[in-house]
Amino acid sequence: MSLQFIVDGLLAGSMIGLGAIGVTLTYSILRFSNFAHGDFMAWGAYATLVCVGAIGALFGKVAPIAPLSFGWPLILGLIVGMAFTALLALLLDKLLFSRLRRQEQAIIVVMGSFGASMALRSLLEFVFTSRPTYFSRAIQIAMPVGLGIRITPDQIALLFLTAALVLGVHLLTTRTQTGRSMQAMSQNPALARIAGIDVAGVVRVTWVIGAALACVAGVMIGVLVQIRPLMGFDMLLPMFAAAILGGIGSIPGAVVGGLIIGLAEAGAVQLIGAEWRAAVSFIILMAVLIVRPIGLFGVRER
Amino acid sequence: MSETVLDVRDLEAGYEPGVPIVRGASITVDKGEIVVVLGPNGAGKSSLIKAVAGLVPISRGTVLLDGKDITAAPAHTMVRLGLAFVPQTENVFPLMSVEDNLKVACGILERRQAPASIEEMYAMFPDLARQKRSAAGNLSGGQRQMLAVARALIVHPKVLVLDEPSAGLSPKFVAVVFEMLAAIRKSGVTILLVEQNAKAALAIGDRAYVLVEGKERHEGVASTLWDDPVVAELYLGQRPLKREAGGAA
Repeated sequence: MSLQFIVDGLLAGSMIGLGAIGVTLTYSILRFSNFAHGDFMAWGAYATLVCVGAIGALFGKVAPIAPLSFGWPLILGLIVGMAFTALLALLLDKLLFSRLRRQEQAIIVVMGSFGASMALRSLLEFVFTSRPTYFSRAIQIAMPVGLGIRITPDQIALLFLTAALVLGVHLLTTRTQTGRSMQAMSQNPALARIAGIDVAGVVRVTWVIGAALACVAGVMIGVLVQIRPLMGFDMLLPMFAAAILGGIGSIPGAVVGGLIIGLAEAGAVQLIGAEWRAAVSFIILMAVLIVRPIGLFGVRER
Repeated sequence: MSETVLDVRDLEAGYEPGVPIVRGASITVDKGEIVVVLGPNGAGKSSLIKAVAGLVPISRGTVLLDGKDITAAPAHTMVRLGLAFVPQTENVFPLMSVEDNLKVACGILERRQAPASIEEMYAMFPDLARQKRSAAGNLSGGQRQMLAVARALIVHPKVLVLDEPSAGLSPKFVAVVFEMLAAIRKSGVTILLVEQNAKAALAIGDRAYVLVEGKERHEGVASTLWDDPVVAELYLGQRPLKREAGGAA
């Protein structure tokens, strides 16, 4: 068997993991499963695409940064896209989720997120059609790195970007006052308020982090695969499986869960066949819920 | 005449509109005092101090802290205004270390002040210093209560408000907690507490109120309050309402 599935799995796992961070944060701090999270990925990817297009229209064709397939317009577009996706999440919270949260029933918010998901997806299809599109149609040559594994420069760059972002978010949530406030909110929202934590501020930070990372994951999918209105929705199951496998509320857990699911999917494609890819997340999700519902890094409520 | 820190006037409060649990209660706490609120079960003691801390909606009356009206202030602004509240249960963040519990509470302090404030709490509660890296959920009941109090004290509040600090503790720890509160008062902190354990609370208190059906029915010096026949009647619920009007002064 070829070891190529390791690279494929790590890449898929990075995208899943970045998305799962948002899922796990929303679940532990805002206390609901956000089914619109996948659509943040798609909106982020399209926002970045529009930004890259606008730069192309203004400055003409920009040469890519060798040996990557993309140049500075994509990097700038990604930053703009992250900001846009964060604003989208804040707007959605203001218009929809904050109102539904006031009813203090998680199921209402979850159903609201289903509706938001459908609306966001349909809007993308309406504006951009459901035809797939690409950041670049250039073909990259994958370099052999031994053991029969091949990897492209884009893939290496995106793996490093993922590692840097995960480390950054981990440090933010464990070493800063903002991060401690987020932990406090997830463990005991009533006491957090008593301790003087500005709950609304923590909610905003949670949305911004989750949505910005979703945008990065969406752009990664766009660079390595393709951009489609359904791209984020298709990631929902693996993202939730990763968040639950890692243990709800745990950022390292979400990333490790994402990598495990990515590797398992890629391994299954090679061993059993591509039609079984989607089943892998489902099987892992079920197994975790039955065997260890608190996940790998989860802690029992005390 | 000593200076009034907390002045609660004619407070009416409850979780649901039109169903007040606190019905026109008035209490005051002077600087440096320990004031105890006693009363039978369901008298609205906890609701009273929770309303003061911004956790139960207030429908009438005012709460003044150092003369400033804080009646409508949201709960998360209370520590900044100078009122620190210690809930009865779930009063620490169980999965965070002792140190992180204290750091979270330092959010309203200046960044440079935080390390010194944490050291100050460790000096006051050496038990916490010894366990600063353990998760708060692993502490014993008494230590957990210490952490909850340290979390509230670290911001140097004008008044420390506690909801039944001895609830759920073994008798040994009850004594420890009340000794701790007496020591905190000696350091100049003003304290308002609600307590079921009336005897222990009166032993350290200066003044006490007896709350019945959401209203204070009696006020007196803590050390002699327990011997007052009116209090016994109020506590045992023997139709005190008529006589109390004359006997309360």
